[in-house]
Amino acid sequence: MRINKDLKMAEVIHMNHHLLPVLNRFDIYLGFGERTVEVVCKDHKINLNFFLEIVNTFHDPTYFPLRHLQSFKASMLIEYLRKTHSYYLDVKIPEIGQYISEIVQCSGFEENHRNLVKNFFDQYRRELTNHINKEEQGVYPYVLRLEKVLDSPRSSQETFDDLHKYSINEYEEDHDDVESKLFDLKNILIKYLPPVSNYKLLNLILHEIFELESDLNNHGHIEDLILVPIVENMEKEFHSRFANHGSNV
Amino acid sequence: MSNRICILLIEPSFLIREGLKTLLSSQGQPYRIEEFDAPVDDLDKLVNRINPDLVLLNPKLVIRLINLPRRNENIFEPYYIGLIESDAPTHIKGKFDQILNLDAEKSELNKIMEKSLRLIHNGNSETENTSLSEREISILKLVALGNTNNEIADKLFISAHTVMTHRKNITRKLGIKTVSGLTVYAILNQLIKLEEVQGV
Repeated sequence: MRINKDLKMAEVIHMNHHLLPVLNRFDIYLGFGERTVEVVCKDHKINLNFFLEIVNTFHDPTYFPLRHLQSFKASMLIEYLRKTHSYYLDVKIPEIGQYISEIVQCSGFEENHRNLVKNFFDQYRRELTNHINKEEQGVYPYVLRLEKVLDSPRSSQETFDDLHKYSINEYEEDHDDVESKLFDLKNILIKYLPPVSNYKLLNLILHEIFELESDLNNHGHIEDLILVPIVENMEKEFHSRFANHGSNV
Repeated sequence: MSNRICILLIEPSFLIREGLKTLLSSQGQPYRIEEFDAPVDDLDKLVNRINPDLVLLNPKLVIRLINLPRRNENIFEPYYIGLIESDAPTHIKGKFDQILNLDAEKSELNKIMEKSLRLIHNGNSETENTSLSEREISILKLVALGNTNNEIADKLFISAHTVMTHRKNITRKLGIKTVSGLTVYAILNQLIKLEEVQGV
């Protein structure tokens, strides 16, 4: 079922409680009372259409955002994506890392297997961090500059030259290896790690990894289905409006 | 290799399409779906463009149904499920890998969907042996110790292409894709010793 503005926010969480961290990224927290999605968004000064596109893309993997792409700005989306990144790097990854440090100390773990699992996770953490940094330091600043120039075209020649040089499609790289590491970690825990005494903690770790994985998938989905089309439109506008501002013309 | 399977759904009835998606979602297999509700002129072209793993097809919507298009002459790629009534003619039924009878009960529908998705997911062989062969174990050891495909090919006197094929099979059987993941597996299973590996 599609999430719409007239649903009560409480009903949204009953439908899909995995949306809770997503709401938190909008600074929305529990305690909705009887307020609808529309009212909660208004109270928090959130663009309603933007909110609906994000939660529906998250809620239904087959949902294809189309209708409101023009009605919100790339900077709004980037703010959301940055909050998502910080949720991974500052909350989820340290949490799972902490659990893994604990689990490898419990009995049942052979001495020389302790570092094995921990190092594998640390490798994953490094790769994910690198990947995120690349987006935060390369892609997002480019998009924000593009948006600024389209809003107020009084910019330096250098900016125009830079913007003429790049395209969002160059940044579209595959997230393959980072994804694969998480996939491998799941199977190592599910299939190949000998039983350990603290099985509850291991269950919890696995649960957290599944949650992280589906959140990451959704994040990539939002980048591909919302961010990239918006930026492609911006680039089209940029090239038609400022064809003469580039030094290569 | 993504876990998400790609489905092509060709069926005129909105209710049936929605019902099928509910059925698919209840299987817990991530998928993405392309839907068509109008007659299809050129099924070959459509299948080629979308490149699905699974096609759910109501044959009434195909103008001239002669052969179902396949990749590499591989019988199950893509996997075709026919959406037809029980009294449909046999020569139509025979073209499909599986028939989903639209009057069937829920448990029957679930069973067929589950079986089909399992077949697609397992690289289409129903009774595959999932433990590693001797050859695969020796290749896995060399991979885990940091050898490249070419180095492994030289050591075992086989072609790099053959090494690749073995590696694909290893990954499919174990569910582990990365070299460092394979190294962890090899150590946990005492195929190699921790001391032999650099930087794990």
